Amino acid sequence: MTERRVVVTGLGLVTPLGTGVRRNWQRMLEGASGVGTITRFDVSTMGVRIAAEVRPLPRVPEDARTEWLGIHSRFALVAGREAWADSGLGDARPDPRRVGVFLGSGKGIIDIGWLVEPLKAAMRAGRLDYAELMRKGLGEWSGDRREQEDYHRSGGHLAAAVGAEGPNWVCITACAAGNHAIGEAYGAIRHGEVDAVLAGGTHSQIDLMSLSGYATLGALSPNNEEPEKASRPFDRKRDGFILGEGAGVLVLEEYGHARRRGARVRAELIGYGNTADAYRVTDPRPDGIGAENAMRLALASARLAPSDVQYINAHGTSTQQNDLMETEAIKRIFGPRGTAPPVSSTKSMIGHLIAAAGAVEAVACVRALEEQVLPPTINLEHPDPACDLDYVPNRPREAKLAHAMNNSFGFGGQNIVTIFRRFEG
Amino acid sequence: MTARVVVTGYGAVAPNGLDADAFWKSTVEGKSGIETIRSFDVSGFPVRVAGEVRGFDAKKFVSNPKSLKVMGKNIRFGVAAAQMAMENAGLRERAPDPTRFGVTVGSGIVPTDVEEIGAAVMASLDEQGRFDVRRFGEGGQKQLFPLWLLKHLPNMVAAHISILHNAQGPNNTITTACSASTQAIGEAFRILARGDADVMLAGGADSRIDPLSLVAYTLLGAVSTASRPPEKVSRPFDRARDGFVLGEGAAMLVLETEAHARSRGATILAEVTGYGSSFDAYGITKPEPEGRGAVQAMERALKDARTATDEVDYISAHGTSTVLNDKMETVAIKALFRDRARRVPLSSIKSMIGHLIGAAGAMEFLVSVLAIRDGVVPPTINLDTPDPDCDLDYVPNTARAMKVRCVLSNSFGFGGQNAALVVREFRG
Repeated sequence: MTERRVVVTGLGLVTPLGTGVRRNWQRMLEGASGVGTITRFDVSTMGVRIAAEVRPLPRVPEDARTEWLGIHSRFALVAGREAWADSGLGDARPDPRRVGVFLGSGKGIIDIGWLVEPLKAAMRAGRLDYAELMRKGLGEWSGDRREQEDYHRSGGHLAAAVGAEGPNWVCITACAAGNHAIGEAYGAIRHGEVDAVLAGGTHSQIDLMSLSGYATLGALSPNNEEPEKASRPFDRKRDGFILGEGAGVLVLEEYGHARRRGARVRAELIGYGNTADAYRVTDPRPDGIGAENAMRLALASARLAPSDVQYINAHGTSTQQNDLMETEAIKRIFGPRGTAPPVSSTKSMIGHLIAAAGAVEAVACVRALEEQVLPPTINLEHPDPACDLDYVPNRPREAKLAHAMNNSFGFGGQNIVTIFRRFEG
Repeated sequence: MTARVVVTGYGAVAPNGLDADAFWKSTVEGKSGIETIRSFDVSGFPVRVAGEVRGFDAKKFVSNPKSLKVMGKNIRFGVAAAQMAMENAGLRERAPDPTRFGVTVGSGIVPTDVEEIGAAVMASLDEQGRFDVRRFGEGGQKQLFPLWLLKHLPNMVAAHISILHNAQGPNNTITTACSASTQAIGEAFRILARGDADVMLAGGADSRIDPLSLVAYTLLGAVSTASRPPEKVSRPFDRARDGFVLGEGAAMLVLETEAHARSRGATILAEVTGYGSSFDAYGITKPEPEGRGAVQAMERALKDARTATDEVDYISAHGTSTVLNDKMETVAIKALFRDRARRVPLSSIKSMIGHLIGAAGAMEFLVSVLAIRDGVVPPTINLDTPDPDCDLDYVPNTARAMKVRCVLSNSFGFGGQNAALVVREFRG
């Protein structure tokens, strides 16, 4: 049996830099920042008041049909439809049972406003009367809405929108989920379960509760004064990540299937590595062994030597710990500056899209391979002696590249790495 | 070449048993774990019963009190089930190579701790009693447990398990509601078959028995509001069924490549041979009435297992006790098994433990494995009034001793995600 190859035939994006791959890529090459003061709710008393918001929120046809649509579903529909149209797969009328949807997805935003009235009614002398809360809740709340906020609804909505009846799989491995979905979709196509998958990630955690939760953990940059400067991966003055939101979706397709229908192949997906730190729920392993092993596994599955990789899209969150750990791990495999390939973090421009991050970054890898240009790490102004690789500072750079590696390391210790190859037939 | 994948260990925490053996004994005896909800006051609420786990002591499984503080209920159940599974598989004494050992877990929605959020909301009200975002920032948020995010992130079940057992291989959390843990086991099967690990802990952990979730499920019209004795409310395939009952708990299985199991002389309980999944878009809580997606998931799993419908001895049903699911599942099984449909026994353990959502599929898969090992299939209890629309052999009310060589385990999700697994008697 010949090995089934997996190619990319469609791309879709919605990020804080805009809607659509074309617009996003253009702005990434300009080194634009999508970070600003949060406008979605009043943040005047919050410790962290900045994020990378998608503005305005895109509308989708489902709005007319559904009482409520979670923001994760909304982003997935926008990026998914773009990728689907880009692939031309709909016109080729594929067997719907052989088309799947694999998404790394957060749930909808955590809203607490709807709790207020029932809580007020149920609070008696400082104690909560549950029976009263529930009685009141039955009259006030929408079960449909809560259900629509559930994780798996994004995968369902996207599958319904394009008529994909194959495996439908939604994972949440925190910041690695989008890349994880791409890796597992790659496995499913190679295994022969499906011929095509809409794979990627979608998420927003720009809500009051999540902002408060991450800020309390000390994970977010408090640089409220200069929002567009706050996300500064690998810079000495980096002080935490910036919450972003949006979605990235790729159409992955078995190569023979794509070739027979005359599809435009944008890149080939050739490697996937998946490991866990098994260290702490709050911190990555300082020795970076989990990240290193994921990169090594991806290289081995792609049958590549480290010297075959010309670009790494870093996880690069802009936290002290991640960026140092990632640099060390890359150096152990690829060698020091000069030997190791250029590394950049698009999170410097769009913030951290959590479950969508790895998918958006996969799209950036594919565009880099197509255009032979590397997106920059912006805000790299103060070199950190400990982060001494070539991070493509501040300006994009033309480069000859055949292979791009995409790193994603999740909160909780999941490490996912994928490798894309420039497609030349 | 793909590796053969076998089951070598199991652990569970269930409403009718605090470990897998107690759960299995109760389940074979037809003992229900469904009672009136005790963890919060449900008087006057239309839904008053659930499959709660009672008498569970997480401290037996997690010695570090600091770790326990950041573990929500579902995490505690999952961690306990994983530890029991490792012991059962004989892997506690002899740990696998950490880099070849992974974890996949089906888990659920963020459990909402209303006590904590309630205090934060109340501290954020303005003079008119309206929620004021600025007050939340000033003081309301201080009412929250500082690490609350960690307690509730769904990937934390798998993260904690990987830390406690030093599992540095593939690690995943699947959140496709009622199919999540069937998909998690299916993924572990694939990872092992393609050679990316030697050992996987796979299963599900969930708990949605809290005031907010109960209200939400009630509003969806999916849970039963019947005023029967609690143990009688969940009645899959019975004519008087009128909705499911929420359950909670966890089941974790040790899956292993055959070669690895043999090399360490492990007891092999069964072999996983097939996995299939599908999607059918329909209503928000309603299955597609013809069961197209369900048929497709079962068909794919059997095809993957290179197994004909004739070879299936027992079906571990999704059987939720909703009018629509049980009818759809019956229709789907008839469509796939044709003349043989009435001769393949199927049963729903949800009749005894309720619907564990993200953990349901793992519980049902565990039952499939134990049915093969012990030659007995559990009953569907409360099947008192036959429904003309549900006319298959549901093993009513009493377990049945029978040779079980091959089982199909079904999960059909709220929202259209369907999955099925095939597990067989192991023959070397």
